[in-house]
Amino acid sequence: MTETQPSSPATPPPSSPVAPASATALATPSARRRWAVPAVVATAVAGAFVAPPLLAAAGDASLPEVTPLELLAEVAEAEPMALTGTAVYTARLGLPEIPFAEIAGADPIALLAGSSTIRVWTDGEERSRAALLGPASEYSVVRDGPEAWTYSSEEDAVVHYALSAEDEARYEALADQLRAGPSPEVAGELPTPEEAARLVLDRAEEHSTVSLDAQTTVAGRDAYQLVVTPRSTETLVARVVVAVDAETSTPLRVQVWSTQDEATPALDVGFTDVTFAAPEDAVLEFTAPASATVEEVVVPLPEVTEMERTEGAAKGELPEGVTVAGEGWESVTTLTGLDVAALVAGDPAALASVPGSERTLGSESAQELIGEFLPEDGEGGHPGLSLDGAALYEQLTTEVPEGRLLSSSLLSLLVTEDGRVLVGAVPAETLRGMA
Amino acid sequence: MSRAEGGSRLLRSELSLVFGRRRNITLLVGLATVPLLLGIVLFVTQDSALAGQGPGFVGRVTGNGLFLVVSSLVMCLPFLLPLTIGIASGDAIAGEAQAGTLRYLLAVPVSRTRVLVVKAVAALAFAGAAVAAIALMALLSGAVLFGLDDVTLLSGSTVPLGEGVLRIAGVAVYVGLSLTGLVAVGLFFSTLTEVPVGAMAATVVVAIVSAVLDTLPQLAAIHPGLLTHHWLDFAEFLRLEVDWGVLGEGLAVQGAWVAIFASLAWSRFTTADVTS
Repeated sequence: MTETQPSSPATPPPSSPVAPASATALATPSARRRWAVPAVVATAVAGAFVAPPLLAAAGDASLPEVTPLELLAEVAEAEPMALTGTAVYTARLGLPEIPFAEIAGADPIALLAGSSTIRVWTDGEERSRAALLGPASEYSVVRDGPEAWTYSSEEDAVVHYALSAEDEARYEALADQLRAGPSPEVAGELPTPEEAARLVLDRAEEHSTVSLDAQTTVAGRDAYQLVVTPRSTETLVARVVVAVDAETSTPLRVQVWSTQDEATPALDVGFTDVTFAAPEDAVLEFTAPASATVEEVVVPLPEVTEMERTEGAAKGELPEGVTVAGEGWESVTTLTGLDVAALVAGDPAALASVPGSERTLGSESAQELIGEFLPEDGEGGHPGLSLDGAALYEQLTTEVPEGRLLSSSLLSLLVTEDGRVLVGAVPAETLRGMA
Repeated sequence: MSRAEGGSRLLRSELSLVFGRRRNITLLVGLATVPLLLGIVLFVTQDSALAGQGPGFVGRVTGNGLFLVVSSLVMCLPFLLPLTIGIASGDAIAGEAQAGTLRYLLAVPVSRTRVLVVKAVAALAFAGAAVAAIALMALLSGAVLFGLDDVTLLSGSTVPLGEGVLRIAGVAVYVGLSLTGLVAVGLFFSTLTEVPVGAMAATVVVAIVSAVLDTLPQLAAIHPGLLTHHWLDFAEFLRLEVDWGVLGEGLAVQGAWVAIFASLAWSRFTTADVTS
């Protein structure tokens, strides 16, 4: 190097003798001991990072004894709490490889595999916000009574879901009755532990046995664990474990175990951090940013008679073109007359061919739960889907003699060549046998 | 001359050495041209069909010049900034050793620990200057080319310009602080060799290997401890509610790397047999 160094008076000859400073440094008896310092530092650092989780895990929750049914009732009766929290969602559905790397930012399609972090704010009443966090992006779902918005930071796009003017007046009038009822359906909804637990526990007793597992700690809070085990052995769902906060009876974590993997849950959504305090108003409000593209979607409010019909659907009165075989967890829903190719291509007109509302299908079974977890599954092809729906469909399904099959550790879906769609939380062989 | 006085004199001369060196000035100027070039490209193409597209925050720049700061930092983070850090910190000790000036530096009546601290402070200052050069140039060219506006956060909320500038400043500070671990690594490598290029290259390699390991799902267990894993967490400043826990975690990991590699560098430097 020919550059001159101002800190030195002159460049010495290469064969210069040992500098005096180094001689004294080597002479000190502590020379070797100095190498102990990094070892001590490394140990201290490792300790500082490893110890807190271990200590937290060691906390033995000694909560008063309850029976499973008491706990179930407590959860059902508990008032929804205002809360702010961070939840981690993990899916191990055993789906075929999807090029998730192609997804640039936070997109609900990422919920199909891997881990995602979701932040949740709710006032326990009508207003809530859930945000799926990407590395430098975010996908938000904001609800405010009869209105809802989704915002994708990557596309700078807003979808605004609202009732029509007449419906809104009717909503206000019916608000009290409807409060527990349907709020607008949002394409690309985000799963939260509470929502998922509600779906499982609502009808837990009908086709399942409910028991308690060891008490645990979730997000630093003592919790009971409810285990819902399907009575049927024909289903892919081995059990659903719901961790319920001992103090507030709020579900803190839901794990869905598949019969095909004993080691890890196939779906796992749970809070890593939660505080039961009302979020600030600014968080629950939403105004579309000036730069964003806004798509307006008017959601029809079901007529009262229609709502009754929806409730009746569970008892067997199904919309035209839909049949349900079997009961509870092992039930298989068959849809006929679907233009799958057009749906997959994201043709909104084809959505009209979907018989009834997706949400009314076999509402008591695991299917709805899975619908919650898989907001945009293979048959969805929502217009808002950013990936090429057809390519995704090709990648997720495999060719079988009966048609195209999507097989995951919790759900199987078979699209036959004559336009029928069979879907259920059962092994793929069962569907192929029925086709 | 008291020891403290000797130390501060040493620091002043070291800073003027680092910031006076032509190569380092060229580096800073080069980094500062990144936002300028990016801004000009986006300005020229803003009426074309490709406007409003691009990874990271590039698509938002034409609407609000403030985002040029963020997108420039995103562009420089994977390679240019680690390269700059590698050059500055890898050269710190090894450069003097190669030039044969290290033993004269150690002849100054100042302890080796103090010499190392001075070298570390100078390298950190240069890292900070590199980030500042990018951020300030981006702010300036963004303001001139696109104008500054209220900031739309990733959550879709809009905050006033003043708060937006503060948040973007937070991004720059976080990026600067998340480079401290790499500075410590580079300083340690610099104490190992008399070939500065080796220390520089090794430092850049550490950053790149860390980034590669971070993409392997099989290594998910070690991801949170990787040097580069939390670098993109600056996005936290652009969310509706800044989660300081997330930012704190990223800085704690940097702190851990600094503690380990600074102590390694200290052990090596205070025990090494300096012959040149």
